[in-house]
Amino acid sequence: MRLTIPVAKVLAALLADPEAPRYGLDLMKLTGLPSGTLYPVLHRLRAAGWLAADWEEVDPVAAGRPARRYYRLTGEGVRDARLALAELRALAPEGGTSRGGAEPTGAPAW
Amino acid sequence: MVTRRLAGLLLRTAARRWPVELRAELIREWEAELHVLAEGGERRRMLRFAASLAAGRAGGPVVDRTVLHRRLRHTARVLLLAPPACVAVVVLAAVVMNLAYAVLDVRLTWATAVQLPLWSGLTAGAGALLALLVTRAARRTVRTGPLPTALGVVLPIALTLTVVLAAFAGRGEQGLPGTVPGLLLWLALLVPALWGAGTLASRGRTRLAWAVGVLGALVAADAAVVLAVVSAIPAPPVGPVADGLPPDTVDRVSAPLWLLTCWTDSSLGLPRPTAWERFLITDRVLVEPVFYLACTPYAVAYAVAAARPAPATEPAPEPVPAPA
Repeated sequence: MRLTIPVAKVLAALLADPEAPRYGLDLMKLTGLPSGTLYPVLHRLRAAGWLAADWEEVDPVAAGRPARRYYRLTGEGVRDARLALAELRALAPEGGTSRGGAEPTGAPAW
Repeated sequence: MVTRRLAGLLLRTAARRWPVELRAELIREWEAELHVLAEGGERRRMLRFAASLAAGRAGGPVVDRTVLHRRLRHTARVLLLAPPACVAVVVLAAVVMNLAYAVLDVRLTWATAVQLPLWSGLTAGAGALLALLVTRAARRTVRTGPLPTALGVVLPIALTLTVVLAAFAGRGEQGLPGTVPGLLLWLALLVPALWGAGTLASRGRTRLAWAVGVLGALVAADAAVVLAVVSAIPAPPVGPVADGLPPDTVDRVSAPLWLLTCWTDSSLGLPRPTAWERFLITDRVLVEPVFYLACTPYAVAYAVAAARPAPATEPAPEPVPAPA
Protein backbone atom coordinates (compact mmCIF):
# COMPACT_ATOMS: atom_id res chain seq x y z
CA MET A 1 0.00 0.00 0.00
CA ARG A 2 1.52 3.31 -1.12
CA LEU A 3 0.76 5.88 1.56
CA THR A 4 -0.35 9.06 -0.15
CA ILE A 5 -1.55 12.05 1.86
CA PRO A 6 -5.27 11.31 1.22
CA VAL A 7 -4.71 7.69 2.26
CA ALA A 8 -2.98 8.84 5.44
CA LYS A 9 -5.86 11.21 6.19
CA VAL A 10 -8.44 8.47 5.78
CA LEU A 11 -6.43 6.04 7.90
CA ALA A 12 -5.95 8.63 10.63
CA ALA A 13 -9.68 9.37 10.66
CA LEU A 14 -10.57 5.71 10.87
CA LEU A 15 -7.95 5.01 13.54
CA ALA A 16 -9.41 7.74 15.74
CA ASP A 17 -12.09 5.18 16.61
CA PRO A 18 -11.30 1.87 14.89
CA GLU A 19 -14.51 0.21 16.06
CA ALA A 20 -16.79 2.92 14.73
CA PRO A 21 -18.24 2.26 11.29
CA ARG A 22 -18.01 5.32 9.06
CA TYR A 23 -19.95 6.25 5.95
CA GLY A 24 -18.73 8.31 3.01
CA LEU A 25 -20.05 11.73 4.04
CA ASP A 26 -18.75 11.12 7.56
CA LEU A 27 -15.26 10.43 6.23
CA MET A 28 -15.42 13.42 3.88
CA LYS A 29 -16.17 15.63 6.89
CA LEU A 30 -13.43 14.07 9.04
CA THR A 31 -10.72 14.21 6.38
CA GLY A 32 -11.74 17.26 4.37
CA LEU A 33 -11.34 15.20 1.21
CA PRO A 34 -13.75 15.63 -1.71
CA SER A 35 -15.78 12.60 -2.78
CA GLY A 36 -13.74 12.23 -5.97
CA THR A 37 -10.62 11.64 -3.88
CA LEU A 38 -12.17 9.75 -1.00
CA TYR A 39 -13.90 6.90 -2.84
CA PRO A 40 -10.84 5.81 -4.86
CA VAL A 41 -8.90 5.75 -1.57
CA LEU A 42 -11.60 3.63 0.07
CA HIS A 43 -11.51 1.26 -2.90
CA ARG A 44 -7.73 0.90 -2.63
CA LEU A 45 -7.92 0.24 1.10
CA ARG A 46 -10.60 -2.41 0.55
CA ALA A 47 -8.56 -4.03 -2.21
CA ALA A 48 -5.59 -4.16 0.19
CA GLY A 49 -7.75 -5.85 2.84
CA TRP A 50 -7.35 -2.97 5.30
CA LEU A 51 -10.95 -1.89 5.10
CA ALA A 52 -14.26 -3.74 5.34
CA ALA A 53 -17.54 -2.43 4.00
CA ASP A 54 -21.11 -3.49 4.50
CA TRP A 55 -24.59 -2.18 3.97
CA GLU A 56 -26.56 -0.68 6.78
CA GLU A 57 -29.29 -3.06 7.91
CA VAL A 58 -32.32 -0.82 7.67
CA ASP A 59 -35.68 -1.17 6.01
CA PRO A 60 -35.60 1.64 3.40
CA VAL A 61 -39.39 1.99 3.52
CA ALA A 62 -39.54 2.26 7.31
CA ALA A 63 -36.46 4.48 7.49
CA GLY A 64 -37.62 6.65 4.60
CA ARG A 65 -34.16 6.53 3.00
CA PRO A 66 -31.96 4.02 1.22
CA ALA A 67 -29.43 1.93 3.17
CA ARG A 68 -25.96 3.44 3.34
CA ARG A 69 -22.62 1.69 3.11
CA TYR A 70 -20.35 1.75 6.13
CA TYR A 71 -16.63 1.30 6.36
CA ARG A 72 -14.47 0.02 9.19
CA LEU A 73 -10.82 -0.99 9.48
CA THR A 74 -10.18 -4.72 9.61
CA GLY A 75 -7.88 -6.18 12.28
CA GLU A 76 -5.09 -6.33 9.74
CA GLY A 77 -5.95 -2.81 8.64
CA VAL A 78 -5.72 -1.41 12.18
CA ARG A 79 -2.29 -3.00 12.71
CA ASP A 80 -0.85 -2.08 9.30
CA ALA A 81 -2.34 1.42 9.31
CA ARG A 82 -0.78 2.18 12.70
CA LEU A 83 2.58 0.96 11.47
CA ALA A 84 2.31 2.90 8.21
CA LEU A 85 1.33 6.15 9.93
CA ALA A 86 4.08 5.69 12.53
CA GLU A 87 6.62 5.29 9.73
CA LEU A 88 5.22 8.36 8.03
CA ARG A 89 5.57 10.38 11.22
CA ALA A 90 9.11 9.11 11.70
CA LEU A 91 9.98 10.43 8.24
CA ALA A 92 8.53 13.85 8.97
CA PRO A 93 11.10 16.49 10.06
CA GLU A 94 11.29 17.13 13.82
CA GLY A 95 9.12 20.06 14.87
CA GLY A 96 8.02 20.58 11.28
CA THR A 97 5.09 22.87 10.75
CA SER A 98 1.86 21.83 9.16
CA ARG A 99 1.81 22.56 5.42
CA GLY A 100 -1.63 23.50 4.37
CA GLY A 101 -3.44 20.41 5.60
CA ALA A 102 -0.89 18.04 4.18
CA GLU A 103 -0.83 16.04 7.37
CA PRO A 104 -3.43 13.55 8.46
CA THR A 105 -6.29 15.15 10.28
CA GLY A 106 -7.71 13.81 13.48
CA ALA A 107 -5.70 12.38 16.33
CA PRO A 108 -4.72 8.80 15.61
CA ALA A 109 -5.56 6.55 18.52
CA TRP A 110 -2.17 5.06 19.23
CA MET B 1 -35.74 18.09 -8.41
CA VAL B 2 -33.41 19.50 -11.08
CA THR B 3 -30.49 19.34 -8.65
CA ARG B 4 -31.25 15.70 -7.86
CA ARG B 5 -31.47 14.81 -11.55
CA LEU B 6 -28.29 16.67 -12.41
CA ALA B 7 -26.48 15.01 -9.50
CA GLY B 8 -27.80 11.62 -10.59
CA LEU B 9 -26.51 12.24 -14.12
CA LEU B 10 -23.09 13.16 -12.75
CA LEU B 11 -23.06 10.02 -10.58
CA ARG B 12 -23.81 7.79 -13.55
CA THR B 13 -21.06 9.54 -15.53
CA ALA B 14 -18.66 8.94 -12.64
CA ALA B 15 -19.67 5.29 -12.31
CA ARG B 16 -18.93 4.58 -15.98
CA ARG B 17 -15.24 5.17 -15.28
CA TRP B 18 -15.10 2.51 -12.57
CA PRO B 19 -14.76 -1.23 -13.20
CA VAL B 20 -18.03 -2.75 -14.39
CA GLU B 21 -18.38 -5.11 -11.44
CA LEU B 22 -18.31 -2.20 -8.95
CA ARG B 23 -20.68 0.23 -10.63
CA ALA B 24 -24.04 -0.97 -9.31
CA GLU B 25 -22.91 -0.91 -5.67
CA LEU B 26 -21.17 2.45 -6.06
CA ILE B 27 -24.24 4.10 -7.58
CA ARG B 28 -26.36 2.62 -4.77
CA GLU B 29 -23.93 3.95 -2.16
CA TRP B 30 -23.59 7.40 -3.72
CA GLU B 31 -27.35 7.79 -4.19
CA ALA B 32 -27.86 6.93 -0.52
CA GLU B 33 -25.42 9.70 0.43
CA LEU B 34 -27.13 12.11 -1.97
CA HIS B 35 -30.42 11.27 -0.30
CA VAL B 36 -28.99 12.30 3.07
CA LEU B 37 -27.81 15.61 1.61
CA ALA B 38 -31.14 16.15 -0.17
CA GLU B 39 -33.06 15.62 3.08
CA GLY B 40 -30.94 18.35 4.67
CA GLY B 41 -31.67 20.63 1.70
CA GLU B 42 -27.96 20.87 0.91
CA ARG B 43 -28.23 21.32 -2.85
CA ARG B 44 -24.77 22.79 -3.34
CA ARG B 45 -23.16 19.94 -1.40
CA MET B 46 -25.15 17.47 -3.50
CA LEU B 47 -23.75 18.93 -6.69
CA ARG B 48 -20.23 19.21 -5.25
CA PHE B 49 -20.41 15.58 -4.11
CA ALA B 50 -21.53 14.33 -7.54
CA ALA B 51 -19.29 16.66 -9.57
CA SER B 52 -16.20 15.67 -7.61
CA LEU B 53 -16.91 12.02 -8.30
CA ALA B 54 -17.48 12.75 -11.98
CA ALA B 55 -14.26 14.73 -12.23
CA GLY B 56 -12.14 12.50 -10.00
CA ARG B 57 -10.19 9.52 -11.20
CA ALA B 58 -11.61 6.04 -11.04
CA GLY B 59 -10.58 3.86 -8.13
CA GLY B 60 -8.22 1.32 -9.53
CA PRO B 61 -5.24 0.06 -7.61
CA VAL B 62 -2.56 2.70 -7.70
CA VAL B 63 0.28 1.51 -9.86
CA ASP B 64 3.79 2.14 -8.72
CA ARG B 65 5.48 4.55 -11.12
CA THR B 66 8.38 2.20 -11.69
CA VAL B 67 5.91 -0.55 -12.59
CA LEU B 68 4.05 1.82 -14.88
CA HIS B 69 7.25 2.90 -16.61
CA ARG B 70 8.34 -0.71 -16.97
CA ARG B 71 4.96 -1.55 -18.52
CA LEU B 72 5.22 1.42 -20.88
CA ARG B 73 8.67 0.32 -22.03
CA HIS B 74 7.41 -3.24 -22.45
CA THR B 75 4.40 -2.03 -24.46
CA ALA B 76 6.62 0.10 -26.71
CA ARG B 77 8.99 -2.83 -27.25
CA VAL B 78 6.15 -5.20 -28.20
CA LEU B 79 4.36 -2.78 -30.51
CA LEU B 80 7.49 -1.39 -32.16
CA LEU B 81 9.27 -4.72 -32.65
CA ALA B 82 6.31 -6.74 -33.92
CA PRO B 83 6.04 -5.05 -37.37
CA PRO B 84 9.78 -5.43 -38.19
CA ALA B 85 9.39 -9.04 -37.02
CA CYS B 86 6.61 -9.41 -39.59
CA VAL B 87 8.93 -8.05 -42.31
CA ALA B 88 11.54 -10.58 -41.18
CA VAL B 89 8.91 -13.33 -41.29
CA VAL B 90 8.01 -12.43 -44.89
CA VAL B 91 11.68 -12.35 -45.94
CA LEU B 92 12.57 -15.61 -44.14
CA ALA B 93 9.53 -17.36 -45.58
CA ALA B 94 10.58 -16.16 -49.05
CA VAL B 95 14.11 -17.50 -48.54
CA VAL B 96 12.80 -20.89 -47.37
CA MET B 97 10.32 -20.94 -50.25
CA ASN B 98 13.12 -20.30 -52.76
CA LEU B 99 15.31 -23.03 -51.25
CA ALA B 100 12.40 -25.46 -51.33
CA TYR B 101 11.60 -24.46 -54.89
CA ALA B 102 15.20 -25.10 -55.99
CA VAL B 103 14.93 -28.65 -54.61
CA LEU B 104 11.41 -29.32 -55.91
CA ASP B 105 11.98 -27.84 -59.37
CA VAL B 106 14.31 -30.65 -60.46
CA ARG B 107 11.91 -33.34 -59.24
CA LEU B 108 8.39 -32.01 -59.83
CA THR B 109 6.88 -30.48 -62.95
CA TRP B 110 4.35 -28.50 -60.89
CA ALA B 111 6.88 -27.01 -58.49
CA THR B 112 6.08 -23.49 -59.72
CA ALA B 113 2.46 -23.89 -58.65
CA VAL B 114 3.44 -24.43 -55.00
CA GLN B 115 5.69 -21.38 -54.73
CA LEU B 116 3.06 -18.86 -53.57
CA PRO B 117 1.06 -21.31 -51.40
CA LEU B 118 4.32 -22.35 -49.73
CA TRP B 119 5.32 -18.72 -49.11
CA SER B 120 1.87 -17.89 -47.75
CA GLY B 121 1.72 -21.04 -45.60
CA LEU B 122 5.13 -20.44 -44.07
CA THR B 123 4.25 -16.79 -43.43
CA ALA B 124 0.91 -17.67 -41.86
CA GLY B 125 2.57 -20.26 -39.58
CA ALA B 126 5.29 -17.86 -38.47
CA GLY B 127 2.69 -15.09 -38.10
CA ALA B 128 0.64 -17.34 -35.81
CA LEU B 129 3.73 -18.07 -33.70
CA LEU B 130 4.42 -14.35 -33.48
CA ALA B 131 0.79 -13.84 -32.40
CA LEU B 132 1.29 -16.35 -29.57
CA LEU B 133 4.37 -14.49 -28.38
CA VAL B 134 2.57 -11.15 -28.58
CA THR B 135 -0.44 -12.52 -26.67
CA ARG B 136 1.84 -13.63 -23.85
CA ALA B 137 3.65 -10.29 -23.90
CA ALA B 138 0.31 -8.43 -23.84
CA ARG B 139 -0.26 -9.62 -20.25
CA ARG B 140 2.38 -7.13 -19.11
CA THR B 141 1.54 -4.22 -21.39
CA VAL B 142 -0.34 -1.04 -20.52
CA ARG B 143 -4.12 -1.36 -20.71
CA THR B 144 -5.87 1.45 -22.54
CA GLY B 145 -9.11 1.75 -24.48
CA PRO B 146 -9.80 -0.23 -27.67
CA LEU B 147 -9.20 2.73 -30.00
CA PRO B 148 -5.80 3.74 -28.55
CA THR B 149 -4.83 0.06 -28.62
CA ALA B 150 -5.83 -0.23 -32.29
CA LEU B 151 -3.87 2.91 -33.13
CA GLY B 152 -0.95 1.63 -31.04
CA VAL B 153 -0.86 -1.49 -33.22
CA VAL B 154 -1.40 0.19 -36.60
CA LEU B 155 0.89 3.23 -36.29
CA PRO B 156 4.09 1.18 -35.72
CA ILE B 157 3.15 -0.92 -38.77
CA ALA B 158 2.81 2.30 -40.77
CA LEU B 159 6.18 3.46 -39.44
CA THR B 160 7.83 0.19 -40.41
CA LEU B 161 6.31 0.31 -43.89
CA THR B 162 7.55 3.88 -44.31
CA VAL B 163 11.09 2.84 -43.36
CA VAL B 164 11.03 -0.19 -45.68
CA LEU B 165 9.58 1.77 -48.62
CA ALA B 166 12.10 4.57 -48.06
CA ALA B 167 14.93 2.02 -48.06
CA PHE B 168 13.73 0.49 -51.33
CA ALA B 169 13.15 3.92 -52.86
CA GLY B 170 16.73 4.79 -51.96
CA ARG B 171 17.87 1.85 -54.06
CA GLY B 172 16.00 3.22 -57.05
CA GLU B 173 13.18 0.64 -56.99
CA GLN B 174 10.46 1.47 -59.52
CA GLY B 175 6.75 1.10 -58.88
CA LEU B 176 6.82 1.87 -55.16
CA PRO B 177 4.39 4.82 -55.40
CA GLY B 178 1.79 2.43 -56.80
CA THR B 179 1.84 0.38 -53.61
CA VAL B 180 1.12 3.32 -51.30
CA PRO B 181 -2.67 3.72 -51.81
CA GLY B 182 -3.28 0.03 -51.15
CA LEU B 183 -1.13 0.06 -48.02
CA LEU B 184 -2.84 3.20 -46.73
CA LEU B 185 -6.27 1.71 -47.32
CA TRP B 186 -5.24 -1.48 -45.51
CA LEU B 187 -3.96 0.49 -42.50
CA ALA B 188 -7.07 2.70 -42.46
CA LEU B 189 -9.44 -0.27 -42.51
CA LEU B 190 -7.38 -2.24 -40.03
CA VAL B 191 -8.00 0.39 -37.34
CA PRO B 192 -11.82 -0.09 -37.14
CA ALA B 193 -11.37 -3.88 -37.34
CA LEU B 194 -9.03 -3.88 -34.33
CA TRP B 195 -11.12 -1.25 -32.56
CA GLY B 196 -14.23 -3.42 -32.92
CA ALA B 197 -12.35 -6.52 -31.78
CA GLY B 198 -10.98 -4.68 -28.75
CA THR B 199 -14.38 -3.29 -27.83
CA LEU B 200 -15.96 -6.74 -27.90
CA ALA B 201 -13.05 -8.28 -25.99
CA SER B 202 -13.34 -5.61 -23.29
CA ARG B 203 -16.95 -6.74 -22.81
CA GLY B 204 -15.81 -10.33 -22.34
CA ARG B 205 -17.03 -11.50 -25.79
CA THR B 206 -13.70 -12.95 -26.80
CA ARG B 207 -14.84 -15.34 -29.56
CA LEU B 208 -16.88 -12.68 -31.28
CA ALA B 209 -13.94 -10.29 -30.89
CA TRP B 210 -11.67 -12.75 -32.70
CA ALA B 211 -14.26 -13.26 -35.44
CA VAL B 212 -14.73 -9.52 -35.96
CA GLY B 213 -10.98 -8.87 -35.84
CA VAL B 214 -10.04 -11.59 -38.32
CA LEU B 215 -12.92 -10.87 -40.71
CA GLY B 216 -12.26 -7.14 -40.53
CA ALA B 217 -8.55 -7.64 -41.20
CA LEU B 218 -9.38 -9.91 -44.18
CA VAL B 219 -11.75 -7.29 -45.59
CA ALA B 220 -9.04 -4.63 -45.10
CA ALA B 221 -6.45 -6.77 -46.91
CA ASP B 222 -8.88 -7.71 -49.69
CA ALA B 223 -9.87 -4.09 -50.25
CA ALA B 224 -6.21 -3.06 -50.37
CA VAL B 225 -5.42 -5.71 -53.00
CA VAL B 226 -8.47 -4.75 -55.05
CA LEU B 227 -7.46 -1.08 -54.98
CA ALA B 228 -3.89 -1.89 -56.01
CA VAL B 229 -5.02 -4.08 -58.91
CA VAL B 230 -7.85 -1.82 -60.12
CA SER B 231 -5.63 1.26 -60.10
CA ALA B 232 -2.90 -0.49 -62.11
CA ILE B 233 -4.62 -2.99 -64.44
CA PRO B 234 -7.54 -1.93 -66.64
CA ALA B 235 -10.77 -3.84 -67.05
CA PRO B 236 -11.20 -5.79 -70.32
CA PRO B 237 -12.69 -3.76 -73.17
CA VAL B 238 -16.05 -4.76 -74.59
CA GLY B 239 -15.55 -6.47 -77.96
CA PRO B 240 -13.37 -9.13 -79.63
CA VAL B 241 -9.79 -9.77 -78.49
CA ALA B 242 -7.22 -8.35 -80.90
CA ASP B 243 -4.69 -10.76 -82.45
CA GLY B 244 -6.09 -13.62 -80.36
CA LEU B 245 -3.66 -12.77 -77.55
CA PRO B 246 -4.88 -12.44 -73.97
CA PRO B 247 -5.20 -8.74 -73.13
CA ASP B 248 -3.37 -7.23 -70.14
CA THR B 249 -6.66 -6.73 -68.33
CA VAL B 250 -8.38 -8.26 -65.36
CA ASP B 251 -12.13 -8.79 -65.19
CA ARG B 252 -13.52 -7.11 -62.05
CA VAL B 253 -16.06 -9.86 -61.47
CA SER B 254 -13.55 -11.90 -59.46
CA ALA B 255 -12.29 -8.94 -57.38
CA PRO B 256 -13.28 -10.35 -53.94
CA LEU B 257 -11.13 -13.41 -54.64
CA TRP B 258 -7.94 -11.56 -55.54
CA LEU B 259 -6.53 -11.69 -52.02
CA LEU B 260 -6.90 -15.48 -51.95
CA THR B 261 -5.48 -15.59 -55.48
CA CYS B 262 -2.40 -13.76 -54.29
CA TRP B 263 -1.96 -16.19 -51.38
CA THR B 264 -2.67 -19.42 -53.27
CA ASP B 265 -1.95 -18.63 -56.95
CA SER B 266 -5.24 -20.35 -57.67
CA SER B 267 -8.75 -19.48 -58.80
CA LEU B 268 -10.19 -21.97 -56.29
CA GLY B 269 -11.88 -23.91 -59.10
CA LEU B 270 -13.74 -20.85 -60.43
CA PRO B 271 -13.54 -19.61 -64.06
CA ARG B 272 -12.19 -16.22 -62.95
CA PRO B 273 -9.54 -15.03 -62.52
CA THR B 274 -8.01 -16.87 -65.49
CA ALA B 275 -4.40 -18.08 -65.41
CA TRP B 276 -3.33 -14.94 -67.30
CA GLU B 277 -5.25 -12.70 -64.91
CA ARG B 278 -3.62 -14.49 -61.97
CA PHE B 279 -0.25 -13.79 -63.52
CA LEU B 280 -1.09 -10.10 -63.95
CA ILE B 281 -2.47 -9.79 -60.40
CA THR B 282 0.46 -11.53 -58.69
CA ASP B 283 2.89 -9.64 -60.90
CA ARG B 284 1.38 -6.37 -59.69
CA VAL B 285 0.65 -7.25 -56.05
CA LEU B 286 3.10 -9.84 -54.78
CA VAL B 287 4.62 -8.91 -51.42
CA GLU B 288 1.86 -6.80 -49.85
CA PRO B 289 -0.71 -9.62 -49.39
CA VAL B 290 1.94 -11.79 -47.74
CA PHE B 291 2.83 -8.91 -45.42
CA TYR B 292 -0.87 -8.49 -44.54
CA LEU B 293 -0.92 -12.21 -43.75
CA ALA B 294 2.12 -11.87 -41.47
CA CYS B 295 0.68 -8.91 -39.56
CA THR B 296 -2.96 -9.94 -39.16
CA PRO B 297 -2.54 -12.68 -36.50
CA TYR B 298 -0.47 -10.59 -34.11
CA ALA B 299 -2.51 -7.41 -34.67
CA VAL B 300 -5.81 -9.12 -33.83
CA ALA B 301 -4.23 -11.13 -31.00
CA TYR B 302 -2.84 -7.99 -29.37
CA ALA B 303 -6.09 -6.01 -29.80
CA VAL B 304 -8.05 -8.82 -28.12
CA ALA B 305 -5.50 -9.67 -25.41
CA ALA B 306 -4.88 -6.05 -24.39
CA ALA B 307 -8.59 -5.27 -24.16
CA ARG B 308 -9.72 -8.27 -22.14
CA PRO B 309 -10.94 -7.22 -18.70
CA ALA B 310 -8.44 -7.72 -15.89
CA PRO B 311 -9.53 -10.04 -13.07
CA ALA B 312 -11.60 -8.27 -10.44
CA THR B 313 -9.70 -7.16 -7.36
CA GLU B 314 -12.78 -6.49 -5.27
CA PRO B 315 -12.20 -7.89 -1.78
CA ALA B 316 -14.90 -9.91 -0.08
CA PRO B 317 -16.63 -7.55 2.33
CA GLU B 318 -16.49 -8.43 5.99
CA PRO B 319 -19.66 -8.07 8.01
CA VAL B 320 -19.87 -4.74 9.77
CA PRO B 321 -22.72 -4.16 12.17
CA ALA B 322 -24.86 -1.14 11.43
CA PRO B 323 -24.68 1.61 13.98
CA ALA B 324 -27.64 2.04 16.21
